[in-house]
Amino acid sequence: MTFDPDRALSLLRIGAGDASATFREGQDEAIRRVVEGRRRLLVVQRTGWGKSFVYFIATKLLREADAGPALLVSPLLSLMRNQLAAAERMGVRAATINSDNQDDWCEIEDRLRTDEIDILLISPERLANAHFVTSVLSRIAPRISLLVVDEAHCISDWGHDFRPQYRRLERIVRTLPANLRLLATTATANDRVMDDLKAVLGPNLDILRGELHRPSLTLQTIRLPDQAERLAWLAATLPTLTGSGIVYTLTVRDAEEVAAWLRARGIDALAYSGQSENRADLERALLENRVKALVATTALGMGFDKPDLAFVVHYQSPGSVVAYYQQVGRAGRALPAAYGVLLSGQEETHINDFFIDGAFPSRAEVEKVLEALTKNPNGLSVPELFGQVNLSKGRIEKTLALLSLEAPAPIAKQGSKWQLTAAMLDDSFWQRAERLTALRRAEQAQMQSYAGLTAGHMEFLVRALDGDPTGIAPPPLPPLPASVDQGLVREAVVFLRRTSLPFEPRKVWPPGGLPMYALHGNIPAAQQAQPGKALCRWSDAGWGALVREGKSSHGRFDVQLVSACTALVRAWNPEPAPTWVTCVPSLRHPHLVQDFAERLANALGLPFHAALTRSEARPEQKTMANSTQQARNVDGSLALAAEELQPGPVLLVDDVVDSRWTLTIAAWLLRRQGSGRVWPLALAQTGGGE
Amino acid sequence: MKDPLSPNTQAILLLTAPLIIGRASEGERPLSAGDYNRLATHLRAIGRKPADFLEASSETVLHACREVVDLDRLRRLLERGFLLSQAVERWSSRALWVVSRADPEYPRRLKTRLNEMAPAVLYGCGDVRLLETGGLAVVGSRDVDDSLVAYAESVGELTAQTQQTLVSGGARGVDQAAMRGALRCGGRGVDVLADSLEKAALNREYREALLSHRLVLTSPYDPSAGFNVGHAMQRNKLIYALSEAALVVSADVDKGGTWAGATEQLDKLRCVRVYVRSTGAPSPGLDALRAHGAEPWPNPTNGHELATAMRARESSTLSG
Repeated sequence: MTFDPDRALSLLRIGAGDASATFREGQDEAIRRVVEGRRRLLVVQRTGWGKSFVYFIATKLLREADAGPALLVSPLLSLMRNQLAAAERMGVRAATINSDNQDDWCEIEDRLRTDEIDILLISPERLANAHFVTSVLSRIAPRISLLVVDEAHCISDWGHDFRPQYRRLERIVRTLPANLRLLATTATANDRVMDDLKAVLGPNLDILRGELHRPSLTLQTIRLPDQAERLAWLAATLPTLTGSGIVYTLTVRDAEEVAAWLRARGIDALAYSGQSENRADLERALLENRVKALVATTALGMGFDKPDLAFVVHYQSPGSVVAYYQQVGRAGRALPAAYGVLLSGQEETHINDFFIDGAFPSRAEVEKVLEALTKNPNGLSVPELFGQVNLSKGRIEKTLALLSLEAPAPIAKQGSKWQLTAAMLDDSFWQRAERLTALRRAEQAQMQSYAGLTAGHMEFLVRALDGDPTGIAPPPLPPLPASVDQGLVREAVVFLRRTSLPFEPRKVWPPGGLPMYALHGNIPAAQQAQPGKALCRWSDAGWGALVREGKSSHGRFDVQLVSACTALVRAWNPEPAPTWVTCVPSLRHPHLVQDFAERLANALGLPFHAALTRSEARPEQKTMANSTQQARNVDGSLALAAEELQPGPVLLVDDVVDSRWTLTIAAWLLRRQGSGRVWPLALAQTGGGE
Repeated sequence: MKDPLSPNTQAILLLTAPLIIGRASEGERPLSAGDYNRLATHLRAIGRKPADFLEASSETVLHACREVVDLDRLRRLLERGFLLSQAVERWSSRALWVVSRADPEYPRRLKTRLNEMAPAVLYGCGDVRLLETGGLAVVGSRDVDDSLVAYAESVGELTAQTQQTLVSGGARGVDQAAMRGALRCGGRGVDVLADSLEKAALNREYREALLSHRLVLTSPYDPSAGFNVGHAMQRNKLIYALSEAALVVSADVDKGGTWAGATEQLDKLRCVRVYVRSTGAPSPGLDALRAHGAEPWPNPTNGHELATAMRARESSTLSG
């Protein structure tokens, strides 16, 4: 197909909303190569260079020449909203299908059928979804004229953010015939990643690669082990910075907590994560400088483009230099100067270890899943697997996902059931897992070296990314103070201990029911627990340590926890208010929780009654790895202590809440016997998001 | 999966395969065997190969073929590259492979015996090399009584005990009984399926034999394709062509796939010797096949006797 440079330029000007706009270096060349389609193209350019103009303009030119639609695969679709607006101005009809917009799917499917969509944007996970592939993609697959693989570094094993679904994408790219147009884009690729990409994308490949050094960035690293110190630093420092920026955290929980703290200190900060419902609004608030900062997980990611972002502060160190470079590189794109500060804390190693260790299933996990499937020649659905395998939901799903990404895969999903295939798991699966885990460890160590630097930060990053570190000028801004105000630290400690965690009551008995209690199906509303509260997370920086101490070594919970829970109940103020207190009994530690519940009842001025007993000792709930297993483990083990029950609403106390099954069954027993509403309260919450 | 597919195989799949990844196959209808053979012959005549359609210079070769196949149709088939990648991904994740006539793994027996009737692509699961091992084909009806099931099983057992491959069609009745007999005695088998390869590959009964390289399932039809009478007829010629001799255990007169396949073999293709069962209950169908030239099964009991029976007719005449 022939490339029309004039039409391309006029599309750029329409898209940019600027009648005198011109192509950035390499952009028009990239569009030409995509449209002509003689060779595959890899574009390595920083975010903000304008990769989206390349594929949107190329798509438009192809469609104007009657070619089929384009397909773009990107891990972070919801972040392309500002690019989508530009596409719309150029008359490129773009649509995205992702888990967030299910209501729109039917309409998009109709428009695909009638060829009214020019470019479809999907996440790599979509390609693993049977419904999407068989019902949606099958309609346009025969005509797709251009495949765009965004964040192409993920194709490489050496790419810093390991995304299992890119394994599938890698194979798809390898099987594409040479006559299909392919554009791969990434912002970062060191030499090893480049070598992998060349191998996958084939010899027929052109590469356009930009510069790494970012002269506008002033980089700095500060080690502050405790979260309270870092909260204090943020509260003192952010107001002194001009403009708005991003504070990156490693977990959703930290994003929410840091944002809440900053707001409590009068700083306009909002939390942003993959779980935020109003991500578009939050992004817009930052783009328009209506907030000082978004406190975000990496869900605020690669495609987010704010040229005047004034700072990027990391609350914890990310797992690799490449990830850090990408995140910090969002600052100061169109500013003369911007800050990139890495705060390094003691918990980051633990969190990054958790991500590294959890990235692959263990041999034992794989064995358990394969053994269950071997025993069931007709296969097992995922809920059936929960009943047969004592592994957590997340681990079972991870194991299934990674095994099914092999080729040939040892398991395949036929309809709703997973089955063994006529292939064994190849040993290369484990070699690969070990190699990647070792690589993640090396990256983590490299990032710790960076965190320890006192000078030469940009040189370090550029060298680590195989760029040329010569001629890098000193940073344009003075360093920020590294010290923290001890008064602010004390306030941060109080803040960390003030938060409490709500949890929802269970409304349905587990798949397969509870045979000993003869329960199944929905739990009638009159026999459910009320929404509950936990004082803290088992592992958190506020009360977590004190709860762990009480449970493991002292055999008695500290008096501070009694006053903390008293304050929690007062602030919570559930209606109708509990008129008495009871607790979940334990045969293993008969006094621990009851002693605590009695002291709490006393502090609240309420009577305590031991209304429940354990009829049978069972293994600890923490040894049961998923909800179905945990429910079965409680089945038949709890009973009422007496026929007569105290009337009125009750506060039901336990030490640790995980699957909520113990509390759900306790509440069912109490309510069935005529108690008032049951308000669960736990000292700590584990599992779930951890 | 032969990894990666050669450009010739890619092009042949684009031109001839339905590439089913969904409920309905969308887009252009792939070339029929006849259309494709005409195109392949033309390409050979002008010194080109299917892979040339995928090169940057494809326009020249496309235009050179416009008299054989409609140009727009060719273009629409060739632009199914992304669909191809999805189909290949579906197959490879289920431990299925695909080979085309352009691949060295494609069974030579099919090419030499069927020439242009050899399917352009074969799909399969298990060790593709088993397709080169010849062996005894055992075919028969779907609905048969217990004595014929037992008979078919015993023939399967004999092939196993004499280290011969059993070739069959994977259908209910005689086909499955013979394969069961062969596999349970540790023998080798080739199942030529007319439909639903994808499902058969996940059948637990076959798993051990597939994993231990004793069984290969193969089909010239898309692994997702369902039952189709025409397909069932067409694959019969593959069963015969992959074997060295065939035994018909039961057949109806003048109807059904077994009859059609056997008479086609006896009257037209003549790739291998065709025997009919010669013991047990009499059968008008088998008698009628005798009239078409089928020989009575000599009921071999050991490897030497079976090998003699499987030897091609000319050589047996010479030795006898």
